[in-house]
Amino acid sequence: MSSPSDAFYEIAVLGGGSFGTALAVILAECRRRVLLWVRRPQQAEEINQRHRNSAYLEGFDLPAELRAVCDLELAVRRSRVILLVVPSQSFRTVARQVGDLIGGDQILIHGTKGLELNTFKRMSQILREETCARKIGVLSGPNLARELMAGHPAGALLASTYDEVAEAVLPLFAGSRLRVYSGRDVVGTELAGAFKNILAIAAGAADGLSLGDNAKALLLTRGLSEMARFGVAMGGELLTFGGLAGIGDLMATCASPLSRNHQVGERLARGEKLPQILGNLKQVAEGVPTAKAVYQKALQLGLELPIVRAVHGLLYEEWSMGRAVEFLMALPTGNELAALRYR
Amino acid sequence: MHPQDKARVRAEVLQRVLDRWAGSPTAAEDALLETIYHERRRLESEKDKTRCRREQVFYDELQRRLVQANGDRRRLLAEVIERFIDEVMGHFDQRVYRLATAVVPAGLSLLLNSVTPLRLLETLQGSSPLLDQLIISGETVALQKLSQKGTLILVSTHSSNLDSILLGYAIYRLGLPPFTYGAGLNLFENRLIGFFMHHLGAYKVDRRKQAPVYKDVLKTYAGYTMELGYHNMFFPGGTRCRSGRVEDRLKLGLLGMGLDAYIHNLKNDRRPADVFVVPCTLNYQLVLEAETLIEDHLKETGKSRFIIDDDEFSKPRRIFEWVRQIFSLHSTIHLVVGQPLDVFGNRVDEEGVSHDQRGRPIDRRRYVLDTDGSPTFSTQRDQQYTRELADAIVAEFRRCTVLRPINVVAAAVFDLLKAKNPGLDLFRLLRHGGREPQLDLREVYRRLEEKLSLLRASEQRGQLRLDDTLKSADPVAVMAEALSHLSAYHSRPALLRRGDRLEHQQRNLLLYYGNRLSGLMDREG
Repeated sequence: MSSPSDAFYEIAVLGGGSFGTALAVILAECRRRVLLWVRRPQQAEEINQRHRNSAYLEGFDLPAELRAVCDLELAVRRSRVILLVVPSQSFRTVARQVGDLIGGDQILIHGTKGLELNTFKRMSQILREETCARKIGVLSGPNLARELMAGHPAGALLASTYDEVAEAVLPLFAGSRLRVYSGRDVVGTELAGAFKNILAIAAGAADGLSLGDNAKALLLTRGLSEMARFGVAMGGELLTFGGLAGIGDLMATCASPLSRNHQVGERLARGEKLPQILGNLKQVAEGVPTAKAVYQKALQLGLELPIVRAVHGLLYEEWSMGRAVEFLMALPTGNELAALRYR
Repeated sequence: MHPQDKARVRAEVLQRVLDRWAGSPTAAEDALLETIYHERRRLESEKDKTRCRREQVFYDELQRRLVQANGDRRRLLAEVIERFIDEVMGHFDQRVYRLATAVVPAGLSLLLNSVTPLRLLETLQGSSPLLDQLIISGETVALQKLSQKGTLILVSTHSSNLDSILLGYAIYRLGLPPFTYGAGLNLFENRLIGFFMHHLGAYKVDRRKQAPVYKDVLKTYAGYTMELGYHNMFFPGGTRCRSGRVEDRLKLGLLGMGLDAYIHNLKNDRRPADVFVVPCTLNYQLVLEAETLIEDHLKETGKSRFIIDDDEFSKPRRIFEWVRQIFSLHSTIHLVVGQPLDVFGNRVDEEGVSHDQRGRPIDRRRYVLDTDGSPTFSTQRDQQYTRELADAIVAEFRRCTVLRPINVVAAAVFDLLKAKNPGLDLFRLLRHGGREPQLDLREVYRRLEEKLSLLRASEQRGQLRLDDTLKSADPVAVMAEALSHLSAYHSRPALLRRGDRLEHQQRNLLLYYGNRLSGLMDREG
């Protein structure tokens, strides 16, 4: 095998977490020239030598063709497409390092669902600020890593204002089990991905209280309406929220008890306190900070988002579960689509 | 334009436009029919029937030949395009060109030349030159340096027909060669200005011509002159801003020609290939056409006019009056040259190097390379680059806006009027002024003080600029300067002081001048 340094790569995946690894695996299995960048040398070695990523994907074998490196320059310089899958709160740091290395002909996409705390910036905005890249896109949808690894079919949306991004990326996934569709609504796609984590907390709470499937469906449908209202107010397109990145992602996340956000809600319902829950979660639950950010933004915009309000109450204002349920049930009903239709 | 370039420009523009519209005989026929349709419509609405007689004959004849000839549609379309090109470029005459360059003093010949009417007025006035009241600041050194390194596109905010004259003068004063500029027909109709317009850089734009082929000729002409290294100037807002706001919606067609020229130059290995975009703002205390513009803005949507030809600019007495007032009030006009940008909207330094938002140098060529590494056009990509350029220009327009006392006082008074009349809709408020025909001056001062402290904080953050009075003077002095302008020049005073009360008369104008503030402070980041 030739050394990675003199090769040209179709795509570099930055971030060896579960989703990043799963995407790299899918690409490697399609025989794409792909490189996976991970931070820790031991992790790279484990992937290259033992074909395992035990920290994030316990129990799965990785294809032998998948190569991991720790050298960011090596991964980035000679790749046409660069896919960042790093946690939202370290996203800016990695983006800045990438910015030192790339040029305007390269394509930057990301698969990170979340917003930057304090600034409320979306990941694509961070990429724009920290690099010279313009061809920027976001990959989002119902993509639970373990199911991708198990080889089940899945779909995702790749949104970019530059059509060249989809033209370059869609063919990379052609023939794989991940069906990637294209779109242009970056704002809506990113906000949907971040927002659904708040709803996952609410769904977890409903499960924790054993309210049943009717209640959960009610919660999620009204939650989707809030997501769409919020997204449109921020510049997204309404129809995006009915697509893979909207309702699609919501269905998968909220149905799966494996989701970290879901666990937060469930444990709150069982009476645990937030600091205690966060203290022994292995990974970040993006919905917790996102709930605060969205709640504050909605206040600014004068938008009424009762489910976000209730989740914020549970997380930050010591609302009891009873109070949250009561609050939501006491709201007047009225025309179901009014808030969306008469904007 | 250099005489030796004329024939070349004519041939190249014809070729490019023809290639775009006459890909097949059917396409050419469609383009011809479309053009005949638009031109006939225009001619029907033309007031001066004798003047358009010849054009009528041309299009009748064209249609006859189109119907008869099963033959060469491409040839017919070429005739139409040539006709448009000739009109846009003017009939160039070597002898007149020599005369113009010889008669006009060497320096003046470099002007965008429409400066002349002001020179005339200045002579009439017989006192200090008006043009000394134009204060130029900002990135002037970068502008001068970059003019040696590539083609410049100067894009300005636009509130008056005098803008192009002042910009032309500024270009001259900065020691730059003349800029190519698409001037509206009304500027050509004055015979003196028209003479210079034709022969020293400006090309003619007839905004009544709506045919897409004609618009393409204009764009292609401007783009090709950029390729050849002629600096261009235009107003990306399209027309004079009606509302008084700093423009935030730009027309992308002409703007995109900078990128087009850049890619053409890279493909043809022309050096220097670079095109730089320099935003600038013009900031008046009194806008010549303010009354007409805001009136047009307030017309119901759809009834406003794209072309206004009977405004203050068409009345020499109004111009004279404006000039007189500017003099007697010692009123300055601020022109701020903004941060130069590349055609992708990145910041460019004096040496012509592009930088990303973190200040790292960028190889801008890489934005237009295909996968094989050669420069290439890509319609959707290039439109998106141009949108991002427009965003960067709008941000720069805002940052370089110099607010004047008239703007802040107008905004403060209008805010107070709205607060005093809750629930009253804008049009009623404008028409009858609400409950109090006169406002308590102390209340106005309070509002004004609040506004001033907000604005001064914004200025500290670099979001906008304030003129010297606004920077430091107390509200009383700010009010005095604003009142001297608001009670002068316009057909009726907008605001008058009556003892300790303020009488508002032309609320439209308060809205107009106050609108300059909107959108400047409520940005994120």
